[in-house]
Amino acid sequence: MAERLKAVDVVTVGVGLTGAILGKELAATGLKVIGLERGPMRDTVPDFQSPAIHDELRYAVRKALTQDNVKEAMTFRNSTGQTALPMRRWQGFMPGNGLGGAAVHWNGLTWRFQPADFVYRTHLEGRYGKGFVDPDLTIQDWGVTYAELEPHYDRFEYLCGTSGKAGNIKGVVQAGGNPFEGPRSREYPTRPMKEPYYGALFRKGAESLGYHPFPSPASTLSEPYTNPEGLSLHQCVFCGFCERFACEHFAKASPQTVILPVALKNPDYELRTGCQVLRVNLDSTGKKATGVTYVDAAGREYEQPAELVLITAYSLNNVRMLLNSRIGRPYDPATGEGVVGRNYAFQTMSYASVFYDQDVVINPFMASGASGTVIDDLAGDNFDHKGLGFIGGAYISATMTGGRPIEFHPTPPGTPNWGLGWKQAVARHYNHTVVLTCHGSSHPMRGNCLDLDPTYKDAWGQPLLRMTFDFPQNDVRMSRYVTDKAVGVGRAMGGKIVAGAPRERPYDSTIYQTTHNTGGAIMGNDPTTSAVNRYLQSWDVPNVFVVGASAYPHNASYNPTGTVGALTYWALDAIKNRYLKAPGALVPR
Amino acid sequence: MKLGPWIGVAVAVFGLAAQAQDNLKRGADIAANGVGDSVPACSGCHAQNGIADGSGAFPRLAGQSAWYMARQFADYASGARNSALMGPIAKALSAADGAAVAAYYASANGPFVFNKRADATLVERGRQLARTGDQAKQLAACNNCHGPGGIGGFPAIPFLAGQYANYIALQLQMWKSGSRKDGADSMADIAKRLSDQDMAAVAAYYQQLREAPTQAAK
Repeated sequence: MAERLKAVDVVTVGVGLTGAILGKELAATGLKVIGLERGPMRDTVPDFQSPAIHDELRYAVRKALTQDNVKEAMTFRNSTGQTALPMRRWQGFMPGNGLGGAAVHWNGLTWRFQPADFVYRTHLEGRYGKGFVDPDLTIQDWGVTYAELEPHYDRFEYLCGTSGKAGNIKGVVQAGGNPFEGPRSREYPTRPMKEPYYGALFRKGAESLGYHPFPSPASTLSEPYTNPEGLSLHQCVFCGFCERFACEHFAKASPQTVILPVALKNPDYELRTGCQVLRVNLDSTGKKATGVTYVDAAGREYEQPAELVLITAYSLNNVRMLLNSRIGRPYDPATGEGVVGRNYAFQTMSYASVFYDQDVVINPFMASGASGTVIDDLAGDNFDHKGLGFIGGAYISATMTGGRPIEFHPTPPGTPNWGLGWKQAVARHYNHTVVLTCHGSSHPMRGNCLDLDPTYKDAWGQPLLRMTFDFPQNDVRMSRYVTDKAVGVGRAMGGKIVAGAPRERPYDSTIYQTTHNTGGAIMGNDPTTSAVNRYLQSWDVPNVFVVGASAYPHNASYNPTGTVGALTYWALDAIKNRYLKAPGALVPR
Repeated sequence: MKLGPWIGVAVAVFGLAAQAQDNLKRGADIAANGVGDSVPACSGCHAQNGIADGSGAFPRLAGQSAWYMARQFADYASGARNSALMGPIAKALSAADGAAVAAYYASANGPFVFNKRADATLVERGRQLARTGDQAKQLAACNNCHGPGGIGGFPAIPFLAGQYANYIALQLQMWKSGSRKDGADSMADIAKRLSDQDMAAVAAYYQQLREAPTQAAK
């Protein structure tokens, strides 16, 4: 029997990026807030210090910072006709775990989506006509506009201290920045990071082809910075251990460095780690949440009553929490009806490797996860898609993330997969190769979805989340097109061999691509096609908000964290200034 | 087996080695005698074996990164690193002589001077800052950059292990006050978070990390 605890105003399910921001801000209004985090407490000092944090085997290969899939896995299949099987090791992507969540092991790439992304269907039909988009793609407008989100993007970037160069300030294009981006209200908080050699080679090659290179937007800081919360970040030292690792230098924006210390000083904010939330509890009407039930690290079950429940876990776990709590109608791919689990999307990643002679020394280990140079010419709808047979695109970048010895083994096509020949090729090419990334959009289609697995359960007896996914043909065509352009850039960079590897079907969950899982609890203006309204409030249970990339109706060409941050502040604004004044549905059904 | 190309390689390697030997000799000569009237002998303050006088008024150079020392000459010469003593010397020193003397002291092997009187509590606080950092002050461990045990992140980052406590503490004070501005931007930011006690602690800790072999044998 669960012990019933004293009621509080707000509980957040998860204390990662979104939970930390919302928890800090709502506690600051005088509300009693409890942050429930299933993973351990951890902080920059002592948990993230070197040399221990630079253990590539432990963190990059064995993925010590991710969800424990011995206790809580996820099942996967490519199509609804198959039987899904549990992922026993995280390989395709890495859901975070522990205080700070995945924003501890991220690379720091901090992008905004394009204005067109938020009005996606309207925009594409307006530009290309009604019949242009593949009818199998279930894209739709988001219910929020770029202009509405801009102040919240800005606030998030200033929280993180993001380093970059603006390309468009209030409609005026800025030299050296991204000319394709939506207008910003002001410059980035810190100047761009120093350009690594691989970035400079890319910039010259891209410029020679008429593209518009600019420094990658990075929350691994170029210079010391104090954010509006009064917390200070240090300068990144290009140690090459961002992705899959935590930053020991206070140089990467993470909840621990940019916001949590402020929350933890507030007596109205209470953090409880090691607490696995099983479900959001509903009253007898099923239209009001009464709190959550969780199990602590000693296995004791508690009921924590709360007036407001914020589901702020990793995107996939947000969806699972709704399904296990029976909030919202589950999506059925057979009929296309239902909303929870709908429009799951990923990221369509591909690469072009540029191999040089021995005289070109790249030093790929001198990097942050976000340092480098990018072109946005072929992302999203920045180019004319007429006659191309697909929608969407990809940014192309030279952002090498550290050249770490276990994982980084560039070899040209034709190299043996093992043995002496392979070793010789790795030794030959390690320091003389630039890998270009094509970071592509991912479109939802009717058969791609998330639901509860009928067979497999977690350590607490709850059904696992089941993912059904394969790349839409649209995205495969996009990947071929953009990867081919990346190969062209590689040739212009002077590479002796340039090898493109476009993304092909089927999706293989045993090969790492990105951790950018989106959708499943998407936002919108129509309760029959979205799980949450434009303020990320559940259509069915108005005192539940579901915050994160789970709200994306599709995934754009960019890393999703910037938009997660913007949507968090957008939802916060609605909660603080509208919901708390008159609790209830902010948008009538 | 054709030996021809290998003989060429051997000659080239031998040639480079001989060149490096000449460079070290030149460096040793400058250390002992200076250059003409403009550059006094380095050994006057830093000692010929690179361990200076042990007071900490002058840093230990023996075993320091050659690249780092050459960089300091450049910074002293340009004024980026401000020193009434070293500025004129660095200005008078040619780049080639600077490289030679840096290479010489990098290869010097003078004994470490162990500070027996270091306060144990102070050293313990220093050990914590050096190895673990301080969350409340948002300070990362010094060893993150200066290498495990403070042995340096060569070539760019100097060793601290065995460096004189007085010297380390003075440099931190200079970064804090803004009178030293060269090197990584991060050092000023870090120094500003350190109290006088913290500086003394981290300095005391690093000096006692390495000791002379004869002392260690006792």
